Amino acid sequence: MAETAYRKQTNVNYQDSRLKARKVSKKTLIYILLLMYALMNAYPILWMVLNSFKSNTEFAENPISFPATWLFENYKTAWETARLDTYFLNSIIVSVIAVAVTVLAGALASYFLSRFAYKWGKYMYAFFVFGMLIPIHATLVPMFLLMKNLGLLNTHAGLILPYIAFNLPITIFILVSFMKAFPKDIEESAIMDGCGVFRIFWSIILPMTKPALATVVILNFINNWNEFSFALVLINEDALKTLPLGLANFAGQYTTNYGAQMAGLTLAIIPTIIIYMILEEHLVKGMTAGAVKG
Amino acid sequence: MHLLSRSKWPAFVGLAPAFLIYILFAIVPILISFYYSVMRWDGFTEMEFVGLANFQEALTDPIFWQSLKNNLYVVGASVFGQIPIALFIALLLNRKIKGGKFFRTVGFMPVVISTVIISLVWGMMYNSRIGLFNQLLESIGLESLTQNWLGDPKWSMISVCITIIWQFVGLYLIIFLAALQNIPEEIYEAARIDGASGLKQTFYITLPMMWDSIIVAVILCISGSLRTFDLIYVMTSGGPGHSTEVMAMYMFEQTFSSTRYGYGSALSLFIFFFSLALVYLSTRILRRKSV
Repeated sequence: MAETAYRKQTNVNYQDSRLKARKVSKKTLIYILLLMYALMNAYPILWMVLNSFKSNTEFAENPISFPATWLFENYKTAWETARLDTYFLNSIIVSVIAVAVTVLAGALASYFLSRFAYKWGKYMYAFFVFGMLIPIHATLVPMFLLMKNLGLLNTHAGLILPYIAFNLPITIFILVSFMKAFPKDIEESAIMDGCGVFRIFWSIILPMTKPALATVVILNFINNWNEFSFALVLINEDALKTLPLGLANFAGQYTTNYGAQMAGLTLAIIPTIIIYMILEEHLVKGMTAGAVKG
Repeated sequence: MHLLSRSKWPAFVGLAPAFLIYILFAIVPILISFYYSVMRWDGFTEMEFVGLANFQEALTDPIFWQSLKNNLYVVGASVFGQIPIALFIALLLNRKIKGGKFFRTVGFMPVVISTVIISLVWGMMYNSRIGLFNQLLESIGLESLTQNWLGDPKWSMISVCITIIWQFVGLYLIIFLAALQNIPEEIYEAARIDGASGLKQTFYITLPMMWDSIIVAVILCISGSLRTFDLIYVMTSGGPGHSTEVMAMYMFEQTFSSTRYGYGSALSLFIFFFSLALVYLSTRILRRKSV
């Protein structure tokens, strides 16, 4: 009797542990797959950083592992010849001004489009959102000629204006859907207190819109910071080039000095990675909100 | 409806800045495109009205057709590459596992990095002499498989598409993760009571519940792929021998290298209408499915 009970017990234990083992091996498999995916995502960047410390000969002999001697020379070369500081400054000027104007003008427009019942408001909103369908490449030719006629080729303003125009649609789209959700009596009590329309916008609506504003700021900034086509067409003076344009140019000049090229790219990518790590949570939330609704 | 609706002038003042910039620098350029597209013009000599000749030329231009074909190739590679991989990883990540946030962060990283940087790094990885791929193949004794990845027309399009797939899987991963989080847990509990296994749950509950998000992802994927330009411009400039030419790239070459502003504008309009048609088509499909 006692023996059979014992056997049963061990049997149960055995089955239990088999189930557990299966669960563990399944989990291990999932981790292996996920780690492979993470490695595939990160490795190109890691490869670039590691090789930025190698000389050309070492890079040719040993392109995969850690550098035998860490060569900082490449960074010196890249910094001195790539004019990264100039490109950085241009990118910051253009991106910051474009983001600020887009978000402010976009928020103001969104306020009137979402909180008032004008008959033409609906059409106006549709007209703005239609902009999301315009592929920017279809506007490169006329934009070039327009800027030429306005005398804005090779100026910061010449880049900032189209950046604003092409980021307004998504900005208004996200902000309007966010502002529409506010309860209707918000403005009424403010009016009773004697607030004007713009005062309501500035002191009540704008603070309430903060989460969506953060999303829109980040999205706009990434778009502007990485934009290439307009910069390529509208800027050809080296002193005014933005980072992506400057990098493409730099790589074209140093086709054979791979170490310096990768050092330059590493320097250029550092701010993006840092900002991304800090804002990741917010960015992902904003991306999903925008994408799922769209 | 509103007390404020009575006065209209603040609305005009409030909408004016956004409206003016938008009209001037987004709508007007598209309209000017129409004007230039019926002209022959090199930017210096007198403009000449040629009617629909530019459009006719585009329709009989073999390189334009090649670029359209390559564009569709990119669309296909993206839809059938990015979406399934992203879906698979999202399903894996949706379990309660440690480090989920880490994988999400790393997964989305390529999306925020500038396309120019991605193109340059991958360009070096594809390099036939010192690139990562050939060196890897050599190190495991597979010299016979080494290729001139970007320089051989047989491989160039495949190589370019692999980079494009790599770049944007993360975007769809995030969309799918958000959709997965919106599926209520009770449904799974009910399914477990009915004895549905993990795989059955995936196919009969999870996938149908996130179908709308999958279709949104497909639309984003199609319209995004049609705009491919930076990556091709930096990696191959459309070569070798037009093997990686896409519509935006060809338009750019015709306009700014060959200074054919009229023909370039006609090509621009083709891109514009092609995108509109595809977006319209995909929203039609989306509407039918979500009913």
